[in-house]
Amino acid sequence: MEKYLNILNIAIYGSAVLLMLIGLYGALTKKSLIKIVLGLSILDSGVHLLMIAIGYLKDGTAPIFSPGNEDKMNIMVDPIPQALVLTAIVIGFGVTAVALSLVIRLYRHHNTLRIDEIKKLKW
Amino acid sequence: MVGSPVLFVAIPLLAAFIIPLTGMMWKNSVRVIPGLVLAFMFFLSISLMGYVNEHGTIVEVLAGWKPPIGINLVFSPFTGFLTTLMTFLGFIVWLYSYKFKRNVDFEPSMKYFMLLMLLVTGSVGIVLTGDIFNMFVFIEIVSISGYGLTSFYTRRDSAEAAFKFLFMGAIASTFLLIAIMIIYSQLGTLNIADIAEKMPMMDHKLKVLSLVFFILAIGVEAEIFPLNGWAPDVYTEAPGPIGAAFAGIVVKAAIYASVRLVYTMYDFSGAFDLFIIIGLITFIMAETTALRQDRLKRMLAYSSIGQMGLVMIAFGIGTKEGVYAALFLMFNHAIIKSLLFFSGSYLVFNKKNKYIKHVNGMGKYLPITSVLFTIGAFAIIGLPPFAGFWSKLAILTAAADNKMVVLIAVILIISILEAVYYLRVVNRIYFYDKKEKTEPKKPSLNALVAMISLGVIVLVIGFYPDLISGILDRAAADLLDKGNYIKDVLTLNK
Repeated sequence: MEKYLNILNIAIYGSAVLLMLIGLYGALTKKSLIKIVLGLSILDSGVHLLMIAIGYLKDGTAPIFSPGNEDKMNIMVDPIPQALVLTAIVIGFGVTAVALSLVIRLYRHHNTLRIDEIKKLKW
Repeated sequence: MVGSPVLFVAIPLLAAFIIPLTGMMWKNSVRVIPGLVLAFMFFLSISLMGYVNEHGTIVEVLAGWKPPIGINLVFSPFTGFLTTLMTFLGFIVWLYSYKFKRNVDFEPSMKYFMLLMLLVTGSVGIVLTGDIFNMFVFIEIVSISGYGLTSFYTRRDSAEAAFKFLFMGAIASTFLLIAIMIIYSQLGTLNIADIAEKMPMMDHKLKVLSLVFFILAIGVEAEIFPLNGWAPDVYTEAPGPIGAAFAGIVVKAAIYASVRLVYTMYDFSGAFDLFIIIGLITFIMAETTALRQDRLKRMLAYSSIGQMGLVMIAFGIGTKEGVYAALFLMFNHAIIKSLLFFSGSYLVFNKKNKYIKHVNGMGKYLPITSVLFTIGAFAIIGLPPFAGFWSKLAILTAAADNKMVVLIAVILIISILEAVYYLRVVNRIYFYDKKEKTEPKKPSLNALVAMISLGVIVLVIGFYPDLISGILDRAAADLLDKGNYIKDVLTLNK
């Protein structure tokens, strides 16, 4: 049982980290603006999965105190990471929406989505 | 007490979403309401400062959950000082841009003022909040409204600048989330005071890792050297007053966040040396790059980054004198850089690429604006009768007290570069002949009032630095007194 849990842990944390790495790779190396936005949002999802995994508890119950349930305190899942993830998902959605609208603006202005052809501003 | 600190977040947020509705009935309300709100916030924060000086820090508990469980707002001498500075600058930016886009149409100015209100909400929220996740939310509010304001003009290359900013901001926000999760998984709390108390229990490696993620994330907004690639583009492409808002409000909030982390949350002293090193690199890189800019706003942007490096150095010195100097410099930079952005945008108004050569001979055509720009330039270099002199002196004495001879030498050498590129512009304003035929734009009355009041502040602080040194002293003492902060927040039984 213990071993099974360990494997599960590794799988969840590993896939979260993997998602983050995929997202970071996509955001940093791809030339297409749409792919960069996709990369950013995959990176976001990876972090969200990590946050959920931190609050996860095997056989946990919902964190609600109700009559007859007072003794289940130590098997309740931690509600805070879930609340945080909800907020983070909404924020991530907003950022993605703004990013896509900027991509549309860039496409109209430059007639291309390739980031190496859009470089009027430089350091 | 006149009001509670929660109004600093609630009122501008409400105003931002109510002006589209009132705008349908009375179009001018789009411009009037933000001004009233900002003036009220400034008034409120001044009166709360008076209360704090007599009765001590105000800790506001939201929704009845006491810390460490609930979210709390902390209005201490330090955060109060920054709040006052930000709301004042917000008001000045509003005054300057009151007639913004007046002759175009109703829509743009509505979006402009909505986003400006959100920007102020987020920045003040970052400073007041006592909870790191709440801080993350406010940082996102600032960033998203910042992206909107940057891409405001559709005709310029503003979308490119905004996308750069967004790319860095989005990655920074994920890093911030990771840092927050590391802290939460180790200590089980999100409250800054509670974290500060439990910090010695945390595993050393994870502590360093989370600090690195924090600095990477907040460094983007704070314009720390390798992370500030967005800043010059954003300052160039955003509307003129927004440059002032970024330099005076947003960056100050981000600097606050990083200082709060290092001074209050984390307990290792090596972080101070890190501040000095990244501050020095930022300072040197930015000032040398500013020297070879040919566009006015880009030059001001690099100068702004350089000044932030100087603030980081001063915070890194770590003594009370150092913190005092840093706060003084933050105050001066907010006032002076806003003055430079305001007057600079009129000097190159309506010019295609806003090159420095466009200011040639403007001294004859725009006398008041030119004088104000000159005052700002002299003040930021640190010439004696102006405000900038005292802050630079304070940094040098703070460094001298700690025997940091190399630091003093570097600051002085780089200051010469700073003088070179500012005086070059002033020289062009007065001693070159105007070549172009286009008529320079005369500043409108409200913009003139905003610029003159900033200029007067620069001069008054220059002659009587004692006017604010008491406030700065209390703020510096408050920041350094970590135990008191924890006690104020956690032993709250009112």
